[in-house]
Amino acid sequence: MKTRIISIVALLFAFSFFIKAQEAEQKLETNGFIRNYMGVLTAPPNKFSINQNTLNLEFKLQTEKFGLYANPYYYQYADQEDVFDIRELYIDLVTDKFDFRIGKQQIVWGQADGVFITDIVSPLDLTDFLLRDFNEIRIGVNAVKVNYYPHNDHNFEMIWVQSFTPSISPQEGSIWQPDMDFMAPPTFDYSNQTRGNIFGNGEFFAKYSLSKSWADIQLIGAYTWDDAPSLHMSPITDPTPGLLIQPEHHRLSLAGMSFNTQIADFILRGEGAYYFGKYWQTTDISANDALIKKDYLNYVVGLDKTVRDWKFSSQFIQKRINGYEKGIYNDEIDNLATLLVSRSLFRETVRLEWFSYHGFNDEDALIRFRGFYYPQDAVSIELGTNIFLGTEGAFGQYNTNDMIYSRIKYSF
Amino acid sequence: MKKYKIIILLALVGTMGVSNALAQTGNEIADKVFNRSAPENGESDMTMALINSKGKERQRFLHQFFKDYGDTEKSTMFFKSPADVKNTSFMNYSYDDDRDDDQWLYLPALKKVKRISGGSKDDYFMGSDFTYEDMEKRNPNKDLHKLLKTETLNGETCYVVESTPKEEGQYSKRVAWVIKDKWIPLKIEFYDEDEELLKILSITEYEKLVGYWIIVTQEMENVQREHKTVIGLTNINIENGIGDTYFTQRAMIKGL
Repeated sequence: MKTRIISIVALLFAFSFFIKAQEAEQKLETNGFIRNYMGVLTAPPNKFSINQNTLNLEFKLQTEKFGLYANPYYYQYADQEDVFDIRELYIDLVTDKFDFRIGKQQIVWGQADGVFITDIVSPLDLTDFLLRDFNEIRIGVNAVKVNYYPHNDHNFEMIWVQSFTPSISPQEGSIWQPDMDFMAPPTFDYSNQTRGNIFGNGEFFAKYSLSKSWADIQLIGAYTWDDAPSLHMSPITDPTPGLLIQPEHHRLSLAGMSFNTQIADFILRGEGAYYFGKYWQTTDISANDALIKKDYLNYVVGLDKTVRDWKFSSQFIQKRINGYEKGIYNDEIDNLATLLVSRSLFRETVRLEWFSYHGFNDEDALIRFRGFYYPQDAVSIELGTNIFLGTEGAFGQYNTNDMIYSRIKYSF
Repeated sequence: MKKYKIIILLALVGTMGVSNALAQTGNEIADKVFNRSAPENGESDMTMALINSKGKERQRFLHQFFKDYGDTEKSTMFFKSPADVKNTSFMNYSYDDDRDDDQWLYLPALKKVKRISGGSKDDYFMGSDFTYEDMEKRNPNKDLHKLLKTETLNGETCYVVESTPKEEGQYSKRVAWVIKDKWIPLKIEFYDEDEELLKILSITEYEKLVGYWIIVTQEMENVQREHKTVIGLTNINIENGIGDTYFTQRAMIKGL
């Protein structure tokens, strides 16, 4: 950890000296925030679910044809090891028709809020489940991104992610570690999980965007890795009878599209992707390693509406496994919905927000109700609650994790 | 439609929409205010100060670009401060026909351009005392007008015109002081549905740039809520041939 911090500090010093040399021509922008974040579980004995202080810094230098950006961050915890890392660090080169971005970067695709269907370039940090702000959930990837603009309304985007970065799962012992039931005592072997920093292990993404007054449309394709590892299971007898579980990431290809358009006073938006050859867990004893390979379709349709100071947004999300077979652990069709209602009050000094996920298959839900108060510019005080309903499913499994929390943030 | 971006620059020329009360004079006033020549493109910095009854002030700094394409007006606004909204950008296309505006918002925290639906015209713009309708280029045919008198205000000879909407709106009437020969509304009073004075718009600074009268500083005071908003423009650069690329999602993401 100490070596990592020293390396990052040295890097930032080098970056700042380089920036200083450029300042005569263009001013360096320095922004960021400091935040205190405390959450307490509502169930006795009311343990802290999170007790974190954050320093987030952004350095940006931009000329007409050239740009630099660095986003180091530091999470200081009361009860666990601190985290100090760089979320993004890249160079931009801009021409009339082309944009090049090279380095560690977050890349966001799609039209959906809070679900990741075509938004598959940056993997996810699920250390705190889905409760972080989304720019803190997405992990930066080392990539080369090229945008070509043959016309102002058209954009071709090509991305090469040099080496595979998987999503981060909650740590062992975390309250966010998912429920995992095994028929026999498990023994984990992680030796196959790392893909290795090899040229051939890269990921490729392509997107075409059309932006018109009547609609924004994106077509996408990807040759990537499944960010979530498949669990290869096989029986063992030594040292004791049980299951050997070997997590392994597999190649995944997909094709999809997203769109948005205005209909009367509504914004209609959606995205969908067809995934080729994902490995699914199965109880079929004839299946190799308890896995079976199937395509699936995942899509979302959303509707937004603003009425005076109220904002309403709802989404319906469905996942369908193609060629479903009995024994697959997941349901053939999985339905989910989200609802967002927010309102600004007192000249935008107060904002109330309700955001909820509703799982139909397991009849579970996550309700996030929070209020923001802005006592002065750049200062926000957020009080909120996260309530998990149901007993199983993506949200119901955390039904003992209901919490209240506060976040105080100063931006500069 | 919400033609607020050019209107912010040119400032509320159409909000009183004067026309035919005192025979030909009213019509001439209406036509000349509504059709006052305006630049086809430009940019400026904009400061918006929100001041409450205790004098506490909050400020927003933006940079705006606009361009008139004939049947479509396009604008892009970039937020420069406060820090928590810095690099947020907003793009608006408004159309001469009856189509609603198209609007997009880029939030740097989400790294995503979202198409957004326009709110009601009586929504307040960014927590200010200006509603979207206040900033719209209001067609004079929507109101009945009455020329009340001629009066001197701030050393300028003004026509004082009362405008009453033909259809029910957020105001029961407006009374405007229009500078003779310049066709700028120097002051406008807005009355609520109970015909009580609600807001007063005052133009405190204007100047002629490249042959156009440009309102540089204006103040909207809500006398009922004891709150006011002061909008000031600086670094005004008009008819400078702004490129089409400023009105794209690429520009929104790239920022200033």
